[in-house]
Amino acid sequence: MRYALFNDTAFEFIKGFLLAVEIFFALYLIGYSTFLFIAVVTGSSSLFKKRQQDRLKNTILKDHYVPISIIVPAFNEDVTIVENVRSLLALDYPLYEIVVVDDGSSDRTSAKLIEAFDMLPIRRPIQRKIDCQPMEFVYEAATHKVPLTLIRKKNGGKADSLNMGINACKYPYFICIDADSVLQYDSLSKIVKPVLENENVVAVGGAVRPSNSVEIENGRVINYRLPRNLLACMQVLEYDRSFLASRILFDKFNGSLIISGAFGLFKKDTVVAAGGYDATTMGEDMELVVKLHDYCVTNDIPYLIRYATDAICWSQVPEKLKDLSKQRRRWHIGLFQSMWKHRVMLANPKFGLTSFISYFYFLIYELLSPFIEVFGIATMVLAFFVDLINVPFMLIFFGIYALFGSVMSMTAFFARTQTIDLKVTFRDVLKALMLCTVEICVLRFIMAWVRATAFIGYKKKKLQWGRIERQKINLK
Amino acid sequence: MKIEVIVYIYLAVCLAMIGFNIVCIFLFKRNDRAAEKSRLYYIDLIKEQFGKEVLDDRHRLMLLKKLTNVRELMAFDKALETLYEQYPDQVKAYLHKLEYVFVTLANRYSRKDELQMTYFPYIIARYQLFYGEDLPQINRILVDLLEKPSIYCRENALGAFYSMGNAENVADALKIIDNTGYYHNKKLLTDGLLTFTGDKKELNELLWERLFGYSLNTQLAILDSIRFSSGDFQERMLGLLRQDLDCEIHYCAIRYLGRYPYEPAYEQLMKYAEHEDETHWEYTSITCFALASYPSDRTIEVLKKNLSSRNWYVRLNASQALENLKLEYADFIDIFEGDDRYAGEMMRYRFDRKKLRERKAAAT
Repeated sequence: MRYALFNDTAFEFIKGFLLAVEIFFALYLIGYSTFLFIAVVTGSSSLFKKRQQDRLKNTILKDHYVPISIIVPAFNEDVTIVENVRSLLALDYPLYEIVVVDDGSSDRTSAKLIEAFDMLPIRRPIQRKIDCQPMEFVYEAATHKVPLTLIRKKNGGKADSLNMGINACKYPYFICIDADSVLQYDSLSKIVKPVLENENVVAVGGAVRPSNSVEIENGRVINYRLPRNLLACMQVLEYDRSFLASRILFDKFNGSLIISGAFGLFKKDTVVAAGGYDATTMGEDMELVVKLHDYCVTNDIPYLIRYATDAICWSQVPEKLKDLSKQRRRWHIGLFQSMWKHRVMLANPKFGLTSFISYFYFLIYELLSPFIEVFGIATMVLAFFVDLINVPFMLIFFGIYALFGSVMSMTAFFARTQTIDLKVTFRDVLKALMLCTVEICVLRFIMAWVRATAFIGYKKKKLQWGRIERQKINLK
Repeated sequence: MKIEVIVYIYLAVCLAMIGFNIVCIFLFKRNDRAAEKSRLYYIDLIKEQFGKEVLDDRHRLMLLKKLTNVRELMAFDKALETLYEQYPDQVKAYLHKLEYVFVTLANRYSRKDELQMTYFPYIIARYQLFYGEDLPQINRILVDLLEKPSIYCRENALGAFYSMGNAENVADALKIIDNTGYYHNKKLLTDGLLTFTGDKKELNELLWERLFGYSLNTQLAILDSIRFSSGDFQERMLGLLRQDLDCEIHYCAIRYLGRYPYEPAYEQLMKYAEHEDETHWEYTSITCFALASYPSDRTIEVLKKNLSSRNWYVRLNASQALENLKLEYADFIDIFEGDDRYAGEMMRYRFDRKKLRERKAAAT
């Protein structure tokens, strides 16, 4: 007997410890399952309602154009930048400008843009409302549908580039998008709708979808299928769960803590007043949203942070485990930094449900979850070692957990039938069915390990751009 | 309760949702096919009625019966949309003869759920169903919608009022929205007022007359819509500047006088432009921009002075106004060679932009 190795006191201690762990995990899983369940059900039914509203013209119908500045921070993006700007110039919206900020790239990012868009140097004064690295030169092009500006500055990181973009842009709302992303043709008119609906809206998040294997023509998807690459495919399921479910739920009580850096709209005045992006954090996108909550609540400013489910941005997701791990490490450290910096929100009634649901969810089920999951596996090993584990029950429990996770993923996946632009093919359903369990049982644990070890050596890389291998965007 | 039981319950609900979504896939496909069939059916029916002095009673009764169903109304809408592209006059004449049907339908839709209720004013606006008419039954239904919390209800109802072309009703509708206390974006109101299909002059006069009876938000929307639609209000806008009113109203008036220059307003504008008080920078900044419509040596002098303002926006607008005055490089030697680096930078930027614009003109 394995427990013969321990004396009675030690054995009783381990038994007590494992009982406490069991109770903790039961509560933890009830909490997680309940959250996921409510999120998926709310998301799915909201999308159904939205579809009905659109069909019956319960929407802002006319084209009311709020002027928008699109800021594209770029660092060594010479593979994708020209295509990206071309896609931005093709957007179905008349009143916007594009500001590309080259963060001291060592490749031909600026040169390619200047050549491709016939840009000319210009001596443009820029008001430094938010501190950022000095600019090196500015080019503008006036020969296109909308003004196009290129600002090259000294390297300072993505947040620093965004701050430069905010300083330079001229319209009251700005959108930040990644240089490897493509906006759907109607994304700007969709993302401004919440602003027209309510004067207190200070930020709107768009829906980000993986663009791997998607063919886009003039901002319209002409061929959609799940990516061939299995890792990318599993991320589609993950994005569905996140964007079609939990973000809709958070939106219901103004509790969104994240607007993806790949696509979000912000009210410039409020962002400037709050101090802009924090150049010292890795997750500048999350930090800004948490900061806006903090700033507005602290200063008694009525505010709303909304999520536009139909404003679509297509973005590349990593196809290699190494790149994915790198990305998730950055996200996890960014999450920690944002939550630590704004820890005033923890259990603070002034922040209402944002504190008691959103902040707690991110703290327990995002920030601490990798540690909890790794700890869970370690205790299972210990329990097995002292022969205090019921292996068949454990397997059944794992089975239920995997089934539950898979069903949630599939519910979110099928919720896309309620969106106008995405169709479900039989082949994709089969693929999703096969991969959702793998995602829950394998990828999730790998990512838990990656996130749990994210802090090792992060100081060295904290201001570097989180780069993944870029591919040419499949645009026509 | 065991944790597995909870998870099983959750699983069952989610499986039901998956089932629902799968059923939706088939239903949507079937509905799309049915809608297309109905569209083609209505196209044929409507075409049959073209050119008839009086529509067949059977046709009217059939529409009354069928269009009570929102799906049929949507298909009818699609059919009209298709026909309107090819035969706009016949479609208008046809719809005019259907007035009784639409009044009855409006009553029926006013008793449906909010989603469907909101759809009907969209149809009214889209085809200007009651253009030039003042029908108390329709007005009452639209007023009910104006009082709903949903912005879509209010917007569609307002759209219907704009399309009917009755200025009095539009002015009343704005007041009703004000009275509800619900926020209605200024831009939506301004853009909506600009789509008014009736006598715009009459509407502007009426709104002006009642201006101070509205909330500030609506007042600003009205002033903006007047700015984009009429140049007849110069004297009255100057009058606003001489009154002690909210600064936002003054900004609207200044913008108006920038768009439609009015010599008697010049001194008032110069007073703002020459303001030394930094706390009034918004007045100075907006006025600088407006002064581009008042070319004179005095204007140039005050704009050049404002190029050295401590406020960024005043400098920016002054430089923009100077650019709009189409002066030459030599006119700014004093600025380029002066002590104020920021003023010089601002004007250099303007001349660089001028070059860019010339290049664009050459390219096109």
